[in-house]
Amino acid sequence: MSSADVEARPREGHPDIEARLREPWSDLETDHATAFARQRAGATFGIWIFLASEVLFFGALFLTYTAARLANQEAFAAAGRETNIVYGTLNTAILLTSSLTMAVASQAAEKGLFRRLTLGCLAATAALGLAFLVVKGFEYREDIEKHLVPGAHFALAQAPAQIFFAFYWLVTVVHAIHLSIGIGLVTRLIAKGRRDPDFLKENPQVEVTALYWHLVDLVWVFLYPMLYLPGRSG
Amino acid sequence: MSTGHETPSDLWRRNLPVWVALMALLALSAWAAYWPFGRIDTAVGFAVAGVKAALVALVFMQLRHASGLVRVVAACGLFWAAILFTLTLADVLSRMVNR
Repeated sequence: MSSADVEARPREGHPDIEARLREPWSDLETDHATAFARQRAGATFGIWIFLASEVLFFGALFLTYTAARLANQEAFAAAGRETNIVYGTLNTAILLTSSLTMAVASQAAEKGLFRRLTLGCLAATAALGLAFLVVKGFEYREDIEKHLVPGAHFALAQAPAQIFFAFYWLVTVVHAIHLSIGIGLVTRLIAKGRRDPDFLKENPQVEVTALYWHLVDLVWVFLYPMLYLPGRSG
Repeated sequence: MSTGHETPSDLWRRNLPVWVALMALLALSAWAAYWPFGRIDTAVGFAVAGVKAALVALVFMQLRHASGLVRVVAACGLFWAAILFTLTLADVLSRMVNR
């Protein structure tokens, strides 16, 4: 038996931990529990760096909106009145609820005790994400029927209102793409968790997916006052 | 990880109050948008969004119990975004005042 084979054997008899250890943590000169703890810490650290870069990506878009709104306040109020606040508020409630189920799924998986609860909450999260996209689809249909697409047949007289709706379409589509990726990642966890009873237990992939999901929710939390609340009192 | 034997009801007891607060804040911001106070409505809308974001980040994203390193990374995103906003808006707002 070569030294590499000895190296690869479980040192502590944790076959399920060993199965979830990945390179480079599987090569660490420690016991598997310590290596797995470091893998978890590395995964959390890595996703937060990605989320910080997403904050800057959406921050730049939000700043563009802010500058355009400061320069065209009346037109942005008139344009904001045209969005459907019922769909917008409903979708905000749907996403906030999906963050609750995602948080419970992540914390339940972290404890490693409640597989059925984790799977149920992941399924609820994916379903709520799909519900958001369905509501958004109905909203898009209404927006198109009301000629709220910037261009030749735009509904509003003020030209800067087109800047508002250019931002509206760009940022809601970018958000919907992010959410679709999130639904895909959650569905992947459900599929793997159903096949392998030990997959979800303490798996850092659940926490990483959850943190991404929460960020997509937070982006919408800020889009809500930007897109749906301007000009309501006027 | 903190306590040894948690039950599913402990998880819900910790997270459900946050969801209730988030729903109440959403209702507040939708209602405040119809107040006849102009700019105050806008300020309430974004302040509520900030509180909601803080609740989600601290409890759902577990920043409350995160390591110092993770908190620094999370703060970095906000820090660089703050520089982006400050420098750009210093230009935009000073042009508006001088117009």
